[in-house]
Amino acid sequence: MSGPGNTDLRQLSYAEALREAMDISLCEDERVILIGEDIGVYGGAFQVTGDLVEKYGPDRVLDTPISELGGAGVAIGAAMTGLRPIFEFQFADFATLALEQIVNQAAKIRYMLGGAVSVPVVMRFPAGSGTGAAAQHSQSLEAWTAHVPGLKVVQPATPADAKGLLLAALEDPDPVMIYEHKLLYKMKGHVPEGHYTTPIGKAAIMRTGGDLTIVATAIMVHRALAAAETLAGEGIDAEVIDLRTLRPMDRETVLASVRKTGRLICVYEGVKTLGVGAEVSAMVAESDAFDFLDTPIVRLGGAECPIPYNPKLEEAAVPQTPAILGAARDMARGRI
Amino acid sequence: MPIEVIMPKVDMDMASGKIVSWHVAEGKAVSKGEPLFDIETDKAAMEIEAPADGILHHSAAEGMEIPIGAPCAWLYAEGEAVRDQPEAFAGSDAAVEPVSTGRGGAPDKTGVAETGAEHGDNIRATPRARSLAADAGLDIATVSGSGPRGRVQAADVQGAQRARLTRAAPSLPPAGCHAEIDALAVTRSRGGTGTPIILIHGFASDASSWAALGTHLKHRPLIQIDLPSHGKSPKLRVDSFADLVKSVRRAFDGLGVERAHLVGHSLGGAAGLALADTRPERPASLTLIAPAGLGPDINGAALSGICHASRPESLGPWLRSLVADEAIITDAYVRLAMSGRSAPALRAAQIALADILFPDGAQAFDLRAALNRIETPTRIIWGKQDAIIPWRHALRAPGKMGLHLFEGIGHMPHIECAAAVGAIVQSYA
Repeated sequence: MSGPGNTDLRQLSYAEALREAMDISLCEDERVILIGEDIGVYGGAFQVTGDLVEKYGPDRVLDTPISELGGAGVAIGAAMTGLRPIFEFQFADFATLALEQIVNQAAKIRYMLGGAVSVPVVMRFPAGSGTGAAAQHSQSLEAWTAHVPGLKVVQPATPADAKGLLLAALEDPDPVMIYEHKLLYKMKGHVPEGHYTTPIGKAAIMRTGGDLTIVATAIMVHRALAAAETLAGEGIDAEVIDLRTLRPMDRETVLASVRKTGRLICVYEGVKTLGVGAEVSAMVAESDAFDFLDTPIVRLGGAECPIPYNPKLEEAAVPQTPAILGAARDMARGRI
Repeated sequence: MPIEVIMPKVDMDMASGKIVSWHVAEGKAVSKGEPLFDIETDKAAMEIEAPADGILHHSAAEGMEIPIGAPCAWLYAEGEAVRDQPEAFAGSDAAVEPVSTGRGGAPDKTGVAETGAEHGDNIRATPRARSLAADAGLDIATVSGSGPRGRVQAADVQGAQRARLTRAAPSLPPAGCHAEIDALAVTRSRGGTGTPIILIHGFASDASSWAALGTHLKHRPLIQIDLPSHGKSPKLRVDSFADLVKSVRRAFDGLGVERAHLVGHSLGGAAGLALADTRPERPASLTLIAPAGLGPDINGAALSGICHASRPESLGPWLRSLVADEAIITDAYVRLAMSGRSAPALRAAQIALADILFPDGAQAFDLRAALNRIETPTRIIWGKQDAIIPWRHALRAPGKMGLHLFEGIGHMPHIECAAAVGAIVQSYA
């Protein structure tokens, strides 16, 4: 895929990559349908479904009433009876209304029916802060669903992975939750043509380095890479891992990196306490990689508060590149 | 939360210290910086200051031997409730019973071990340091920690291991010899006493470039590091600036010197600066001579010319471009310089390195943030006729650093005006 002349590679935005994945699957597999609020003529709250309704008609791109619980229930029922629905929440925050369907139904049905029925539903959650949308439209609640056995939870950070993970989710027999960071929708990157999948449960090493490991999710991957670039100029060689999947988590990639570097920083946007970083840290502390740690683990997560509306406070409420730089420098310089 | 008062590390070989006496009585207030207690090590006695304001509680008994980094006492804030002693003292009781605390009875004997080796659990050490020590059969209690609050880290264990391996032949190579530390050649060119001066040469140069300056640095041990793919380190390859710094850092750690004056020229200056940034406690001073890393511009043609030159006729003109007064680059000097770079493999390695560090004639690494961050006393020396790196990069230094700008001098002040540069370095050392 890469090679000489790869500057000419096709660039798509993250939203376009998701739309292309849905387009390909709608075209290739007649069981695929889209369900959500305003995903038809309006094109979706973040214009991700766009004009797909014109191409595939309202029978396959279904607008629902404003009821997350009802819509999610329809999607899960459709999945149980043979369709491959992709359900879109307008905001991840409102998925709280549908948790009964997600947690008590979708996650449990295959287990409770002895494997006779599976729930191959895909759910898309526009998440994250940075858009000035305040406390009820900016949260990163991915750790909530990642806490539930029976669900798979992915968090693509690049356009290529957004497409690859959505197509992989459709092939998966179990419910897959896709958390899409709203600030990434416009980000461009190379996206291969045609049908391909990014494996669920596999992290990506975005940058190799020997001095410390930064495990990041979603938009934090890009902030970690920016920090790593600056650190390299200062003689500090950071390895950046994009976790990509929260459940099941890619233990081996993280542990191998920590065994190599002996230092770990976890960066994630969700509230720091009881978040993704707690799981990554505990995974390392419980493993043989513990013996390789040469500094305490550092977690950089969201502040313990609702996301503020004031833009400066909103920025301060989640980790930014300078915080990652500061932590990495302190670590490399033996200050922590 | 009460503030811990820990046994500080006051000399390099120290594993523990004995509390000789307290200047402040239990329950009395002390201000930050006031003398708090006296300690005694194998070598010295010393007065230790209070790390913060507070009221002294749970102070260890006089005569107790406490390992480095372990608590000796706690300082409470005014009005703060005094709790039970947070943990038992790690030290051995050399003279008297340990102090009785709020436990309401006899002190808990189980928390007080008899010798340093038996109470590993009270020693601050990282998991990696512990596993390295276990693998090497080293008692972690005998390793002094350089981390926060005396924590033993991997580098400390590795240093102790090297020290043990080379105890017969000290890790500082004897004068006039050179030793390889993790593949990087380290030469000790002269004996002497006191804090050593470590010299790091520039790109496409080697340790021999310090000969002129060396004659002006009296009475100090001089240690020269040959960068990867240079001089006596021809086989080592690095593929990034971070790797280069890492190899220098390993050599520096491997030397086992507690404090050193660092002097770096050009690329060696950049390496020295990055070293001071990541080992903030160790450099006693930093002298940067026409350092790289402070701006994008560099004379790519000259770098390319020097590392490609395969005979004196092609090397000479480029070497002369390094200095303001071309007369000092004699034909004999050119022949000598060429003989040091006669191996085609060495030249090929330097060409590859130039492409990594200075692609398209630009400096690909940026140490301006590091320069602003370091607290090491630093001076920058530059020739105003430098044709390789513009002297104006020096103006990016923060005000607290000294700038020495020489008229009529090029990129090699340590050769062109060695006496003046020597005097500047000496004024620190």
